[in-house]
Amino acid sequence: MNCSQHDLKGYFLGELARPERGEVEKHLEACPLCREELDRLSLTKAALASLPDEEMPHRIAFVSDKIFEPRGWARFWNSAPRLGFASAAMLSAALVIFAFVRPSPAVSPSATDPAAMEARVESEVAQRLQAVLEKTVAQASDAQNRKTAELLADTERRIEMGHRADLVAVQEDLQALAQRWNNLRVSMASADFGSAR
Amino acid sequence: MIFREVEDPDLIARTKRGKVEAYNLLVSRWERRVFNYLLRLVGHREDAMDLSQDVFLKAYQNLARLEDPTRFGPWLFRIAHNEAFSHLRKKRPEMEWEPKSLETLAAPRTESVELVLAVRKALGRLSEDQQEAVNLKIYQGFKFEEIAEILSCPVSTVKSRLYSALDALKVTLAPIDTRGAE
Repeated sequence: MNCSQHDLKGYFLGELARPERGEVEKHLEACPLCREELDRLSLTKAALASLPDEEMPHRIAFVSDKIFEPRGWARFWNSAPRLGFASAAMLSAALVIFAFVRPSPAVSPSATDPAAMEARVESEVAQRLQAVLEKTVAQASDAQNRKTAELLADTERRIEMGHRADLVAVQEDLQALAQRWNNLRVSMASADFGSAR
Repeated sequence: MIFREVEDPDLIARTKRGKVEAYNLLVSRWERRVFNYLLRLVGHREDAMDLSQDVFLKAYQNLARLEDPTRFGPWLFRIAHNEAFSHLRKKRPEMEWEPKSLETLAAPRTESVELVLAVRKALGRLSEDQQEAVNLKIYQGFKFEEIAEILSCPVSTVKSRLYSALDALKVTLAPIDTRGAE
């Protein structure tokens, strides 16, 4: 059997699968050259082992400190609800873009001063109260004026109607007097004519 | 209730949730291996220590990019490999004038000085690629596939580098005429 067919070094280094290992072992039983080669490999490995691992000067340990923490984006990317975070981030980005694109009203420097802001609020409230008060007074005054005008007009109408009624009554009285006067003159004239005959 | 050993993926998951203590436990499992891997590459204890700290800091910062927590070892050593070779590239000009001295490594207490020097000399004759292949396979115990991942090369390349390295080492450390004399 040809020795080169067998991976003796692979066998020695423990890299062969079970069937190949079995074949090499079977070959070793019959091949003194390969047994010798295997012995030399074992001696070589034993010699290499004369350089053992050394102890470390000191141990390595980390403390919980921000500089040792994984980067924020890495923690975010590996978090379970990252899709939710991603959605929220996209929404936030959209809002931010919208805020930058939309023209914003100019803000005066005093807008950030609390005292000035309080005075501005008080002034605004006073102005609005005054406006509401004036509007309410105006509405009440208008209503009162309308009511007075209606009452006045009604009174004038009643007085006018009373005057007219009185005039009609006076006219009727005058007509009655005139009638009686005529009747009296007719009676007197008839009496004069009878005495004359 | 079922009890089982806490494994690296458990610690990685807890670290990703911001538990630094979990990461410290993970570091304690791997720091000695990483340190010795780097020490064999750069040959200087202080540099290896500084690089080890950089490696674990970088690993912590990039842990979110680790897709398969069961592959933490090769992934960590890939970072260590990059850090070491970045360090060596920066030091390359001075190293050309002052070659890496393996004697800066602490002498082992139990082995003979002659054997240690022979091993260091034999390793020093290997190319950088071969040395690293031996480092990752013999000293760190990674599989071919994992070494290929660490070095970003095909498995066939790993095998080629390692087998040629073993052939070269074997000539020095286990010569035919002296075999069996020990």
